[in-house]
Amino acid sequence: MVTIAASLGAALAAAQLVPVRVSNPPSRGALAAPADVHGILSRSCYDCHSNETRWPWYARVAPLSWMVARDVEIGRREINFSEWGGYLPQTRKRKLQWMHRSLGGESMPPWSYCLMHPQARLDANDRAKLRAWIDTQLKDGDSADTR
Amino acid sequence: MAALRYLACSAAFAGVLFSGISSPLAAQDDPEIRFENHQFKPQTLTVPAGRKLTIRVVNASDETIEFESFKLNREEILSPGETTTVHLPALSDGTYDFYDDFHQDVPEGSIVAK
Repeated sequence: MVTIAASLGAALAAAQLVPVRVSNPPSRGALAAPADVHGILSRSCYDCHSNETRWPWYARVAPLSWMVARDVEIGRREINFSEWGGYLPQTRKRKLQWMHRSLGGESMPPWSYCLMHPQARLDANDRAKLRAWIDTQLKDGDSADTR
Repeated sequence: MAALRYLACSAAFAGVLFSGISSPLAAQDDPEIRFENHQFKPQTLTVPAGRKLTIRVVNASDETIEFESFKLNREEILSPGETTTVHLPALSDGTYDFYDDFHQDVPEGSIVAK
C-alpha cells in the first residue's frame, strides 16, 4: 500500500516536469461587439476562445494542466475572438454560423467547463441575445468588426 | 445440447472472422479525401445522392487540420498521418462545401451529390 502510494506520488511529481504552454499571446484584432454581447462572450467563451484566458490554479498542476492546455489550444484554433481581425470575411462568416448552431444545440459552453465555472452557463436570454447579434452580423455581411 | 453450444460458438466465431475480413474491404471502397501539400484532393468529390455513405478523410501532411463542413454539420480534427471516417446521411442533390478550418489559405473543396 505504501509502495503504491509512493509510486503514485513519484509519478505525480514527474508529471509536473512535463512542460505545458499556459500563456496569453497579445491580441491581434479582437472582436468588437456591443457591451452586453461582449460581456456574455467574455464570461462564457473567452477562457477557451480568446487570448484572454483566465488560467485557474489547477492549470499549472499536472495532469489537469494537460487537459486545460489542450482544451484552450483546440478552442483557440476553432475560434479565437482575439484574432478576429486576422480572419478572412468568409472565415468570419463560417465561424458566426457555427456559433449560431452551437448556441441552438446548447453544445457550448461544454457541461464539463460549466461544472468548474458555473458563472459561464448561458441562460435562454444570453443565447437569444448572442444569436440575435450573430444574425445581424451575418445579415450585414461584414461579419463583425474588430477593435 | 453440447452440439448446439458447439454450433453457436462456431457461428459466432465465423461471424467475427468474416466481419474482420469484410470490414477492411468495405473501408477500401469508401470514397476518400486526402489532405497533402496544403490542399485537399480531390477538390471536388462526386457521390451518389439519396443513400447513406461513408467518406474516408486522410491527413497525409505534417500539419494538424480540421476537416469541416457547415452544410454537412461535420468537423473532425486530424493529426498528421491520421485517418478518419465521416458518416453521412442520404444527401439531396446539391453541393456541400468542406474546408480546413485551421488554415484559411487552404482552398475549399466540395462534395457534389447527384
